Order: sequence, then C-alpha cells, then structure tokens
Amino acid sequence: MAGTAGAAVAAARHDGMLGGPPQTFTGAVPWQEGAADAPPGVSGTDFIFFTSAERAFIEAAVDRLIPPDPVGPGAVEAGVPFFLDHQLAGQFGQGQHYFLAGPWSKGTPQQGYQSRFSPAQLYRAAIPAIEKYVAATFNGAAFSKLAAADQDKVLKGLESGAINLDGGVDSATFFAMLLQNTREGYLSDPIYGGNKDMAAWKMIGFPGAHYDYKEWVTRHGERVPYPPVGFKGRPGWTER
Amino acid sequence: MGRFAPPLLGLAAAASLGLATWAADQGPALPSLPAHPLGAVTPAGLLAEIIPDGAQNAEQLRRGQALTIAGDCMSCHIRDGGQPFAGGLGLNTPFGVIYSANITPDANTGIGAWTNEQFYRAMHEGVGAHGENLYPAFPYPWFSRASRADDEAIFAYLKTLPAVKYVPPANHLPFPLNIRFMVKGWNLLFFRPHDVQADAGQSAEWNHGAEIVSGLGHCGGCHTPLNFFGAAKSDQALQGGDVDNWVAPNLTANARTGLGAWSVDDISEYLRTGRNARASAGGSMAEVVSYSTSLMSDQDRRAIAVYLKSQTASPDRAPGTPDPGAMRRGGAIYSDACASCHLENGVGQPRFFPPLGHDAMLQQADPTGLEHLILAGGRVGPTATRPSPLIMPSFAWKLTDDEVADVSTFIRNSWGNQAAPVDASKVRTLRRRLGLQATHYTANSGDQG
Repeated sequence: MAGTAGAAVAAARHDGMLGGPPQTFTGAVPWQEGAADAPPGVSGTDFIFFTSAERAFIEAAVDRLIPPDPVGPGAVEAGVPFFLDHQLAGQFGQGQHYFLAGPWSKGTPQQGYQSRFSPAQLYRAAIPAIEKYVAATFNGAAFSKLAAADQDKVLKGLESGAINLDGGVDSATFFAMLLQNTREGYLSDPIYGGNKDMAAWKMIGFPGAHYDYKEWVTRHGERVPYPPVGFKGRPGWTER
Repeated sequence: MGRFAPPLLGLAAAASLGLATWAADQGPALPSLPAHPLGAVTPAGLLAEIIPDGAQNAEQLRRGQALTIAGDCMSCHIRDGGQPFAGGLGLNTPFGVIYSANITPDANTGIGAWTNEQFYRAMHEGVGAHGENLYPAFPYPWFSRASRADDEAIFAYLKTLPAVKYVPPANHLPFPLNIRFMVKGWNLLFFRPHDVQADAGQSAEWNHGAEIVSGLGHCGGCHTPLNFFGAAKSDQALQGGDVDNWVAPNLTANARTGLGAWSVDDISEYLRTGRNARASAGGSMAEVVSYSTSLMSDQDRRAIAVYLKSQTASPDRAPGTPDPGAMRRGGAIYSDACASCHLENGVGQPRFFPPLGHDAMLQQADPTGLEHLILAGGRVGPTATRPSPLIMPSFAWKLTDDEVADVSTFIRNSWGNQAAPVDASKVRTLRRRLGLQATHYTANSGDQG
C-alpha cells in the first residue's frame, strides 16, 4: 500500500557523498517510486556565462573548427556556443570533476589536464589573451572580424602552442579544450543545448539514445532505420 | 533472531566461534568487527518462521500464522522503515488519511492487554477495545466471515510476535468523518456481518477458495468497486476497483479485462512467485504477494484460483476508437522508450519484462494503473521463488503528459488490446497527485548535487 516499496527497509546508502556514513540495507532492495537518474539538461535560450566579447570570439572560433558545408551544419548553427556557455556556467565549468590543486607540472599528454585553471577560468583568461595577441598582430582587429584564412592561422598557432599568451595561459591547452568541447556540443544529446535538431546525428547516421539494439544483434549488414532520438524524444513523439 | 530459537542460530554461533579461533591463530589480532546490525527480521521472514512442534498451542499458533498470512495483515500494519505489525502506515482513502494500528503485543500501544472477546469484536463487528467504532479501512466487513476459533488463533499468534512500543499518528479526516460515531450509520447501511456458509453444490476446494477470497483475504477490499460511501458494491463483486492511485484489476472471467484467459495454474503461479507468463505483481499487489499469497500453501493458492475462475464474467463495454494521430505518436514513443525491454512486437520476456499483448491490466476501463506505472515506475514484489525485485524505471522526467497519454493509448490498442483512449488531462492530474512535476533523483544520484 505504501508509495515506497520495501517496508521495514532499515536504511539508505553510501553513495560517495563526503562525510556520509556507510549505511546498511536489510529487507529488500530499496526503491523509491517516481525517482530517476535524469540527465541535467538545460533550458531557455539566454547566454549566462560568456560576455558579448567572449561570445563573439567563441562563435567565430567554433564555426572555423566545424564550418557549415553541404554535408552538415556548422557549429554555430548546431548551437555549440549556447552549449559551451551553459557547460561553463555549471559543474563542468567549475572543474568539479578535476583535481585542481598543485603541483602544476607541465606533464605529458597522457597525464591529462594539468592546468591550475578550472575550465571556466581557462576560457575567461584565454579569450582576452588571444584577442590581445590578435589585436597586436592584425592592426587592432578582433578575432571575429578577421578573414577566415587569418582566423585559421591563429587557431593553428594556438593548436601548436606557437602563440604565447599572456596571463599564464597555455595556448595548446586551451585549444585542445575548445576543440574537444566543440565536438561535445556538436554531437551530444540536444538536452544539453547543442546538436540542434539532432542534425549532427542525422549527418553521421547515429540513431541516438536507444537503450539497446537487442533485436538487431543478429542482423548483420543492415541499416538500422530508426530516426535519431534524444533523451527527451524526437519530432515523431509530438507531431500532430 | 527467531522467537522459537531456530536451529540455524546455533549453527551461526558455532561458525563465528570457529572464526574467532582462526583469527586468534593468525598472530596479530584483527580489529574487532562491529556486531552485525541486522537484529531485525524481515517482515516476510517473520511471517515464514517455523513454529516448532514443542511450542505451546503449536497447532493453534500455526493456524493463526496461516490466517494472519491469508489476511495480509502485514501490508497495512507496517510503515516504511517501521517494525512488523507496529502499524502507522497512512492509508489514502477518498475520505482522508487513516493510519493503521499497532497490533503487536505491546500492552500500552498495541493489543497486548486485549482479551479474546475484544479481538473478536474488532474482527467481527469493527469495534475497538474501548467500544469505539473502527473505520472500515480496517476490512472488518470481510474479516467478519472468520469464525471465533479463527480469530482466537490469529490473536494467539499475534501475541507471540515481538512487542513494539509505538503509537501511530492520528488520522487526518475532515469533519464529520472524524467522528467515529458516524461509522455506526455506515455499518447500518452497508455492514452485514456473517460467518461463512459453505455452498454444498461446490467442491471443498471451491469453498475453501471462497472462504479466503471473500473472508480474511479481503480481495474485494481492492478488487470490488466502492460506492459513494466507500462501501463495496456487492452486485459488482471483484469487477475491479481503484486503490491509492492504482487500479485493482477485474478478477471475473471477463476475457478482455479479467482472468478469462488465465488458467488456474497461471493464477497460482502469480500468487506464489509474483509473476507468470502474462503479468507481474506491482503496485499494492506487490506487497500482497510478498507478505501474503507467496507465503500461503499451494492448496490455499489453488483454491483461490479455482474460486476466482468460477466468477461470472463482468459485462463488457465497447471501448472507444483511438485517434490515429495518438496511435502514430504513441507508437513512436513506444519504439524509442519501451521496446528495449518489452520489444517492438510487445512480447517482452515472460516472467521478467511482462508481455503486453492481450493483457487484462492494460485494458482496464480506468487507465490510472498504466499511467501511474509509466510516470512513477514500478517494482515487482520479491518472493522466495523470485527474489529479484525487478524494476520498471520512472518516466516522469522524460515524457510529457501528452506523451504519457499517447503511449498509453497506443499500448492499450496494440497486439490484441482494445481499450478506451487515454486523456492527457488525467495524466496531468495524476502527476500532480503523485508529486512528480519536478524530477526526483534517486538516492544514488551523487553527481546531481
């Protein structure tokens, strides 16, 4: 009769929460009606992290990393700047999944992210440093106003680490993160704000967030005909 | 552990002694382990304890134990996190919340100081120890069919259980329902106490089934529709009712919505294991199976099945025709959100993921049960034979009210099912009633902050 199953279940959990004492279950596997591990999607259309100058840089940069072409949409069209904005404003931006204390040695690529900056701090420090470099190199112009070829030249200089930035920012580290985050925004589930209309999935033929493909395990060489679906569905769920 | 000192206890003691000896031989002492915290017995474990031959009144206590199981006393007389039979579970009736009583032998807060006569009056007339009227959420209209000897056996058995000092919360009933005297009027109108009359024209098995189903088992408490006053409509016995935002399905021989397509073996297996090739016990029925029917004897379960199979089919109503748009959208949602377990053709994995075609539960006139299951998820009641409590996840965070309605309409009208379309506004109301407008994260969602 109870809303939660498993009466006389004597307890809860030890789920890695700091300071939470380990607890013991008896009776039945605990289960709470209506509870779910829902992914933390974003809503609205407003930018909440980037300043207008930062946004202008990001829109110009990501559209050179993934430019629009006949095969698929560009990164701006796919909503990547909005995705980046909300990721940097949230737990990812704060580096909650990173060890950010020292020592800050240079490290090898295999050792992963070595910066003292959280991702939000890295973007915040790197973009003005890049704009400063661009202004000094291209007669005071902003990155977004450069010709595509010059933008590519700057991005390549960042990628190789050849460009030295002020403010203790390692240009190659920032480029690597920007490229990775741009891919994530382009290809991740639309609930996070990028991959608008699942266009990236349509482009590569990915059917999306299906639980499994059990019924396809023995069907080799066939194309899975499912239209892509995200965590929150697809147009076919609502079309009147 | 057990009140009757089961032989296993001795074995465990010997084993831990052996461990201590072994540890002593290993040089430096191991840090001492804290005492095992599980002094408590699980509710089902308590009910399944074997009453040894040597116990006083062993025969009467065993009868009392079997009748307590048949009456499913545990499901209501335990609250989440509470002790068996200490009560305190809030029953959501259409009239307000009524809390179950402490029926452990505690002298002050339970029934330890009651007499046989007082217990009999409670069971038979719905009157408490001090002459006060009990609310019919306590199913005395059914319990009144138990004999005086049965009630004495139940009382004797309950008195052997661990006493728990606990006072359940006060009921939340609006005026004038909070005046117990009002129940007298209800009793005059709707309550017909009587002992079971055997039907000589039927088999002993059928009569035994009738005794359980319409007596202590009080199946009609949920499976018979209630009238405006919360009394069972006797002319629609076992044709299905609603309870606590779930639907207790039709148990008559109706082929579409009842047990018409189920065999006696199907019903027995369902009652024993919580599952069969057609369905799984969820909602309130999960607890009925865990605490009552799975602990019954095979003869009891078979008798129930034989009796239920003899019920005349309820009249069938022509279901409405579903809107093709709802079917198309619902089919798309089904394929993406449901088919990974229940498969595209709805055949599922019998006994694990219930098949959905020709399904009685899905075709109930009232779709609340299906809506509830999709919104909140569900858990199959664990039993000794099927101990894994399989879970269907909650979709409240994923599907909108329109989407729940469309996929419900699709499921209710596919693979041989035919039932009235589902209305999104009903889903909205249910979502609000279940408090699921916002996402509720599980206890393990550590990274959700």
